[in-house]
Amino acid sequence: MDITNFLIMKQELLLTLITLFILVSEIFVSDKRRIIPIAIVLFGIHTLFGFLYNSYGSIFGGMYQNSELVNLMKNILNLGVFIVLLQSSTWLLKEENENKISEFFILTFSTLIGMNFMISSGDFLMFYLGLELATIPMAALVAYNTYDKKSSESGLKLIMSAAFSSAVMLFGISLIYGQFGTLYFSELLSADMTSPLLILAFLMFISGLSFKISLVPFHFWTADVYEGAPTNVTSYLSVISKGAAVFIFNILLFTVFRNIVDVWSDVLYVLAILTMTIGNLFAIRQTNIKRFLAFSSVAQAGFILLGLLGTNELGMATVIYFILIYIFSNLAAFGVVSSIENNSGKLNIEDYNGLYHTNPNMSLLMMLSLFSLAGIPPLAGFFGKFFLFTAAAQNGYYWLIFIAVINATISLYYYLIVVKAMFINKNDSPIEKISNNWYMKTSYIICLIGLIVIGFYSDIFEYINQISIGI
Amino acid sequence: MIEGIEIQHIILVSSLMFFIGVYGFMTRKNLITMLMAIELMLNAVNINFVAFNKYLHPENMQGHFYSLFIIAIAAAEAAVAIAIIINLYRNLHSIDVEDVNNMKH
Amino acid sequence: METTIFYIISAIILVFSVLTVTTTKILRAAVYLLFTLVATAAFYFMMEYNFLAAVQLTVYAGGIVVLIIFSILLTHQINLDLKKINSIKKITSGLVSLFGFILIGNIIYTHTFKATSSVIADTSVNEIGRTLLNYGDGGYILPFEVISVLLLAAMIGAIIIAKKK
Repeated sequence: MDITNFLIMKQELLLTLITLFILVSEIFVSDKRRIIPIAIVLFGIHTLFGFLYNSYGSIFGGMYQNSELVNLMKNILNLGVFIVLLQSSTWLLKEENENKISEFFILTFSTLIGMNFMISSGDFLMFYLGLELATIPMAALVAYNTYDKKSSESGLKLIMSAAFSSAVMLFGISLIYGQFGTLYFSELLSADMTSPLLILAFLMFISGLSFKISLVPFHFWTADVYEGAPTNVTSYLSVISKGAAVFIFNILLFTVFRNIVDVWSDVLYVLAILTMTIGNLFAIRQTNIKRFLAFSSVAQAGFILLGLLGTNELGMATVIYFILIYIFSNLAAFGVVSSIENNSGKLNIEDYNGLYHTNPNMSLLMMLSLFSLAGIPPLAGFFGKFFLFTAAAQNGYYWLIFIAVINATISLYYYLIVVKAMFINKNDSPIEKISNNWYMKTSYIICLIGLIVIGFYSDIFEYINQISIGI
Repeated sequence: MIEGIEIQHIILVSSLMFFIGVYGFMTRKNLITMLMAIELMLNAVNINFVAFNKYLHPENMQGHFYSLFIIAIAAAEAAVAIAIIINLYRNLHSIDVEDVNNMKH
Repeated sequence: METTIFYIISAIILVFSVLTVTTTKILRAAVYLLFTLVATAAFYFMMEYNFLAAVQLTVYAGGIVVLIIFSILLTHQINLDLKKINSIKKITSGLVSLFGFILIGNIIYTHTFKATSSVIADTSVNEIGRTLLNYGDGGYILPFEVISVLLLAAMIGAIIIAKKK
């Protein structure tokens, strides 16, 4: 092993260095607010480095592997985290958080390191460690508003349900280990997984991971945690954390579990229908905007499963492409919500009545992002959903696509409720004009560009599709 | 290997322990006792890994190391969970799930 | 002889596990958990994984249980009785768990596990230390380093949540 091998894991190493740098710099910086630009600039540099000097391969006896596809996944996550960091500045600058600024960055970066290791893992041990590293500091982030009991409750709910689900998942992994005597993905590739014991192990494993992606019936924690967590943490949880879990789900299904594709496509079929339908039905009756977005993100996870049901490289590429678009759409929506919450404290959909008259720009961005989530052309979300449907159609899942189209229509209805509230409904005391700082404005501009450009710039999908061959 | 004992017996004991933990997680209302139920489940998984390692795959120690890491992570998890429980108790003066659960569905 | 000891330890584990999740005194639940964890360590000793057994005793029994007892002392009166759980919930949860156990137990009991090798690896502490810090095939230095990041992050998280304002 020589020193150039470390370039393979440069993303994780660089991020660890940045984390330690922030930890130490806190001692020397007297005004804690100055840490925000430092951290954001450092992370911006890290995001750029993700695209440069790439080398791929497998190190540490196969425990860690990096490929072009895995690196792309990490870059997508980096981009999302960069937007989240920009958006969280307003919340961090509040008085009650002034002693907790650098810890926010340390915890966020630790969870991102965990996600990177999880995506890059080459065996079940690194996978589990990455998963827990992405979860345990996340619970602390969710409970970050220590004066708010809702926030603490959410943190507890997250860590309890995550611990329970990872225990179930570990039981499944232990059975796989018992049968084959190895935990390395590369040695499990040709394993025969058809005996009842291994099907059981697979089901336990998949239910553990479904908690992370919040698929129905494992979604019960989602709405409560999303509501109670600080809004910026909610957006991190709903976009980045979920995206990373979908990525590793994607990789595992197509490598370790590819021999039992019949089993998992049946399971995913049922989960997809349940997730889309129940997520949508619950989203309709929500009055709190954060709970509303939580159930909408549950429903979106159902659509993602359609791409996985494509069961080939194209399916995999559509899922990654969809996540890329989902990051921009959802972060734009959450950005507007957090900006309004931090300035006025209002969180109900009714409070958004007449928002257009006072804050036209934010209303327009919110409308675009909701339309993108609903999948209205020509926004990026349309192309994302369309490709997912194409992937599922390849395998002849026409009934499923039919149900998905109905669900997409239902989702359009409830997204339009919010748009109607902002543009048409009258309100005697609308939310006052909000002046965003330039961090927030930058994040909005990035989201806007993403929402419009990604759909039209077809090279992106071509590129993803090309590198997902041969995973 | 324990003489006269087959692998199935050990796994049955650990499975039973696992489901006792599941039962505890579902019925308990106090947050600290829920945490104890989770520790039981993780402990059952550890026994699984170690027994499989010893009985079936003694040529390397993958199961052994996996349990070692599970123990360490269980400790970290318990620490963060208890920190949140203490903070919640400070705000609420109770740590029963029923008192905690005031979010509407 | 070993068979008898195994059954005694199994009985201890199962009885105290049940008591952990059913007793109404919270401090007793913690002590029963301690007994279960110590009995598990006895399993590891019987399988000659001495290092793991020692870790189980120090970290699990010594660390986590003490942490739990501390948190009980910080948040409860010690002799507090836990609230009664309604019997419908008890029965449904019991049935779900029992069904799960019968399903898994049945599959495990009928499954024939096959050993991959009869070569026995060295389980001395020396060898464990070498494997843990080895970066080649079968080495564990990467997880070892990653878990250090995890522990640091968990520590910072716990401090930031639990510290007084």
